[in-house]
Amino acid sequence: MTRMIVHRLLVGLFVMWGAASLIFLIVRAAPGDPATVLLGPDADHAQIVRLRASLGLDRPLGAQYLSYLGDVCRLDFGESHRLGRPAMDAVLDRLPATVDLTLTATVTAVIVGLTLGMLAGGRPGGLLDRVVSACTIALQSFPTFWTGIMLVLVFALNLRLLPSSGVGTPQHLVLPAVTLAFPFIAIIARLTRTSLVETMSEEYVRTARSKGLTERQVLLGHALRNSLIPVVTVVGVQVGALVGGAVIVENVFAWPGLGSLVVEAVANRDYTVVQGATLLIAGIVVVLNLMADLLVAQLDPRIRTGAV
Amino acid sequence: MTRTRERRRSRLVRLATTATAGAALLAACTTTTGGDDTGGADDGEVTVAGTYPIESLDPHGAQGASTGTQLAAQEIFSRLVKPDADGTLKGDLATSWKPNKDVTAWTFTLRDGVTFSDGSALDADDVVASFQRMTGLNGPNAGNFPGDTMTRTSATEVVLHSPAPDASVPGKLGTFYVLPTGVGKDDTAFFNHPVGSGPFTVAAFTPSESLALVPNSKYRGTRPAPRRVTIRDIPELAARLTALRTGEVDVVWGIPDDQLAALKGQKDLTVRTVPSSAEFTMWFNSSVSALKDAEVRRAIWQAVDFGTIIRELYPETGRPADAPVTGVVLGHVAQQPVTYDPKAAKAALTAAGFDFTRKLRLQFANAEFRPFVQAVVSDLQKVGVRVDPLEKEQAAFTEDLLALKWDINFQQLATPSYDAASNLGRLYTCAAERMGYCNRRLDGVLAAAGATADKKRRTDLYGQASRIIWQDAVGMYPMSVSIAYAWNSHLTGFVPDASGLPDFATVRTGGS
Repeated sequence: MTRMIVHRLLVGLFVMWGAASLIFLIVRAAPGDPATVLLGPDADHAQIVRLRASLGLDRPLGAQYLSYLGDVCRLDFGESHRLGRPAMDAVLDRLPATVDLTLTATVTAVIVGLTLGMLAGGRPGGLLDRVVSACTIALQSFPTFWTGIMLVLVFALNLRLLPSSGVGTPQHLVLPAVTLAFPFIAIIARLTRTSLVETMSEEYVRTARSKGLTERQVLLGHALRNSLIPVVTVVGVQVGALVGGAVIVENVFAWPGLGSLVVEAVANRDYTVVQGATLLIAGIVVVLNLMADLLVAQLDPRIRTGAV
Repeated sequence: MTRTRERRRSRLVRLATTATAGAALLAACTTTTGGDDTGGADDGEVTVAGTYPIESLDPHGAQGASTGTQLAAQEIFSRLVKPDADGTLKGDLATSWKPNKDVTAWTFTLRDGVTFSDGSALDADDVVASFQRMTGLNGPNAGNFPGDTMTRTSATEVVLHSPAPDASVPGKLGTFYVLPTGVGKDDTAFFNHPVGSGPFTVAAFTPSESLALVPNSKYRGTRPAPRRVTIRDIPELAARLTALRTGEVDVVWGIPDDQLAALKGQKDLTVRTVPSSAEFTMWFNSSVSALKDAEVRRAIWQAVDFGTIIRELYPETGRPADAPVTGVVLGHVAQQPVTYDPKAAKAALTAAGFDFTRKLRLQFANAEFRPFVQAVVSDLQKVGVRVDPLEKEQAAFTEDLLALKWDINFQQLATPSYDAASNLGRLYTCAAERMGYCNRRLDGVLAAAGATADKKRRTDLYGQASRIIWQDAVGMYPMSVSIAYAWNSHLTGFVPDASGLPDFATVRTGGS
């Protein structure tokens, strides 16, 4: 187990270096210069040259890369000239909103998705299974921005039950979290259903049934645990994607999270913020994947002992 | 059979319990006033949704020229002079201002007895220190004052010296805010709780989320009417308008034409449009061979039916422009309208030897202008002029704009100083190299206009400059832009602002 953790951590470090290098190159490959964007079209050439020098952009790319890597190793992500503050401060300011949104969406998706998956997978081909399958296809098919706008129209504009946008109270969280959770619910429900159907046809399940256990005991005591292995893996990957990918939901609901910060930073060529945010998101994904791997190992002793 | 029924009943009971718990949770979470939790009440609180985020409160820094920072700064800090809602310049900290004979120095007399929100006195030292801070930080506003310096002549007088005659100094100072002496470069502590001398102080600020303002008890003027003003950032227009309809916000502006009809139909909303200093401006790159000839540029202008395009796309917020700057700008003089005549345009292009096989690059930066640009491209196609519309990201657009990597450049160009000097005087000189156009006679007229403080003379000279620009078709100037505002009718005292920076100090809710 320790070996596995060490191995995963080393892979994680490699991933972080790759992400750091890739983002460094990508932002600089994009057309548009940070100094020009910052000063606007009214600036004269001398002003732009001065600002480029003060941002260190007049140095060779290799030198910039090496000093950037050195700074990252010291956890110094630089100053955002645009925001007039350390880039990581700006990123960390937005993190709580993203965590609130992602966590609520994930918990909602896991609870609802697992329940629906179990209900559908418990009786494959039954009415409930067909209804759940149809619903999950619909949930997965609706574009997030459309779902968000529909929820706003119904619950904020027509029913006046919930605020249409913004942050501050728990009710502000309901619509964005539900919007974000919808496609995730569909993924978990479908995966749980498929996995459960497969598991329920395993020999050990038949043995459990032949021992006289009730369907519930078979399901909860034997089948569910094994059915969860692919679900846990997918949840780990999906949560990581949600952290950085909630930008559409953030825009629709004016939710001040990391996604919209990164989009603003990319549009303004704010290199330090883009780099800091990307590395933080990469770090979160690495940690979540490690946690998912550990959980899977906990669920499946063969992985723990290195048998598979 | 009985066991199955019992199991089903048990499941139903569980389902019902879950549903009830869910409903109770939702009910607990709901707003008790039907969504009208912030606006609409007679509570003296005003909530508005700005058009751009407020990312920083530092008016001298990198964000100093951004609309969000300007909107916040005008409520927190004071300026020497400031434009009124209609663009007329009036004193803020300054009671009077006058230039020297050759307009290279402007003397500002300061109001007596002004204090910052912490009770400390504001004097000439603070004004000079603020000017030095602004120019020293090399932010976008510093570019308005290249080589300018400011000195203190007494506790209530400062002088701004320019290296060359500059009659537009007062107008340009509309973006210069006075902070207490000693504020550092990235002084996070100060800008978390800024000390200013404007009508409001900051109660809470979260960048790109919201800014809450409360009246500054030390403010020299009339105490602001609202008890609290909250400026929220709602990036999506649809979400802003929904929030207005639900009463979550009280004021929204920058509303496009296609949304205005629906808002006008709502009884509890007031909708107005105000002429602004912004104008649709389509420069020709006169340095490319195809567009060097003024005859060609004029013919292209003549080939586009701007009147119809404006009527169809901007019936409320657009009207045909009659000069390179709009009517609210000092120096505006109406020119002879360019009549749409595709036949004459085609003939003129042929006579000028225009290369119809060449595709012109028309660059623009914002998706909201796409229909307008496409309509222009379509009209030009009818006379055989092939145009490639290039929608670029803002960063790439600005870089290419400065590098002249375009044939026609579309911009909504504003003149925030309300003075033609910062538009015509700055952009159209040979030295500016902004559109490959160089006319020494125009340079002379613009220099003369910048060197006199006499408004009548300046208007006359900018009129001459406008005529040259217009007749030489340095660009096409199709449309003057109005800004559309909508606000809840329970607000009184709200004045729509021509520059999109409304002041909320005079706004009253029903009972405040």
